[in-house]
Amino acid sequence: MAVEVGRLLSVPDTVGTARWFGRLRFPILRTRVTGFALVVALLLLWECSARLGWMVSQNWPPFSLVLTATWRGLWSGELAAPLAASMARMVSGYLIGSSCGIVLGLLLGTVRVLDRFVTPLIEALRPLPLPALVPPLILFLGLDDALKIFVVAFAVVFPVVVSTVGGVRDIDEVLIGTARTFGASRARTLLRVVLPAAMPSICAGLRISLSLALVTTVVAEMIAGSSGIGYTILQAQYGLRPEEMYAAVLCIAVVGYLLNMGFVLLERRILRWHQRADADV
Amino acid sequence: MDRTGSRLLPGLVSFVAVLAIWELAGRYRLVNTVLLPPPSMIAATLWQIVRTGTFLAPLGQTFLLLFVGYALACGFGIALGIAMGRSEPIYCFLEPLIELMRPIPKAALVPPLFLFLGFGATMKVTIVALAAFFPILIATIQGVRGVDRIALDTARTFGCPPVRMIFKIILPASLPMIVTGMRVGLGLGLIVVVLAEMLAGEGGLGYLILDMQRSFAVRQMYAWIVILAVAGLTINAVFEFVEARAIPWRSK
Repeated sequence: MAVEVGRLLSVPDTVGTARWFGRLRFPILRTRVTGFALVVALLLLWECSARLGWMVSQNWPPFSLVLTATWRGLWSGELAAPLAASMARMVSGYLIGSSCGIVLGLLLGTVRVLDRFVTPLIEALRPLPLPALVPPLILFLGLDDALKIFVVAFAVVFPVVVSTVGGVRDIDEVLIGTARTFGASRARTLLRVVLPAAMPSICAGLRISLSLALVTTVVAEMIAGSSGIGYTILQAQYGLRPEEMYAAVLCIAVVGYLLNMGFVLLERRILRWHQRADADV
Repeated sequence: MDRTGSRLLPGLVSFVAVLAIWELAGRYRLVNTVLLPPPSMIAATLWQIVRTGTFLAPLGQTFLLLFVGYALACGFGIALGIAMGRSEPIYCFLEPLIELMRPIPKAALVPPLFLFLGFGATMKVTIVALAAFFPILIATIQGVRGVDRIALDTARTFGCPPVRMIFKIILPASLPMIVTGMRVGLGLGLIVVVLAEMLAGEGGLGYLILDMQRSFAVRQMYAWIVILAVAGLTINAVFEFVEARAIPWRSK
């Protein structure tokens, strides 16, 4: 989704902003230079307020110290190890959850009876906030990887199912009819016609659930902490080691950003045939 | 049978079926009833909590925090979204900062906020507002940018003042997008408020659920989860009801 906003910028401004702001005398205001200046200014403010004692607090380390803590943590492994552990859990949970979601979505989208009986159950479960599921699952799965992978997979399933069903429902009847005319079997139609045609919608669901998977990993690690980056953040907060805490938050943010970017690139490849693919991302 | 009936019935049937299987599995010791008590036992505990009215205070606490934070997020998100969607300079000024903040999973900000705002209500309202803010903002920007140009030009031709334009054209036209963002935001807000309560340990549904698990009061834990689930379903239903009223022209 990161690209979304970036892309919007390239859309010519057709809504007559110029009229509202008078004739703009400073064209620089229409570039993102001001925005980057704001970010730099805020970081400088952070640095100065901590260094010069404008903000006297143990919880407010200068930004430069956070950066060095990140660097140190990544090289010494103090941050790298939990980060890697979290990522491994997140990716396993995501893969399990999204494959289950796609299969379930295809079934619900094509088999009428299943849809009528199972969809209401899914709808009823969906609004349950995920953190609430962690405590009971601890009873069954303990505090280890199994718990976190399960929670992530569970979180991922719902958006993927919903978007898959949506994609399957919107398929052009002519496509299915054509496949039937050529004598394609049900399974073949599903794999060769329905799945590709629903792919843009499935991808949208997969993208939403990617960031959801990251949040869920962090949440599960915080509640049922034994390792991982979420646990590291919480420990650093308890132990009053703010640099480490901010460093860990920074790492997650970067990972989230990279994951999203990677997904958008992948999506473009998968959906290259799809004319709306570019407009969607 | 009317249409809603034929839509609701299969769902009800499968819901009852799931409960029956769960109950029987417990009765015949197919699952460990200590960890997963049969629904009848959970229902008894639940009834106790509901009858004595003990559920009111935690439920009220959690949802009050959620609503205050969510209302803040909606107010700021929509206002800023309109400003950024309408004005290129404002957009360019804030976009890099927002792009920088957005990928941070808001759950990760709970511990830093503990340090600054303590464990109380301020902290929880802030984190809910933060979590819900970004999806609402992004959706509003996209909605505002997607407003039909002809409608805007027509309004301008008739000399419509900017403020009126916002309320009469831009807001109604971008409402479907805004509501989509608000729905995402509400889900995130609910996740974050429960998490914050669990970590802060100062009451609320999230705290109770985790506390019951830690003290191994399994039945109570499930009862509180049911209460949370029902509350979640209810606000979802309210949201859909309001959505249908607010944007009747949007086909399902």
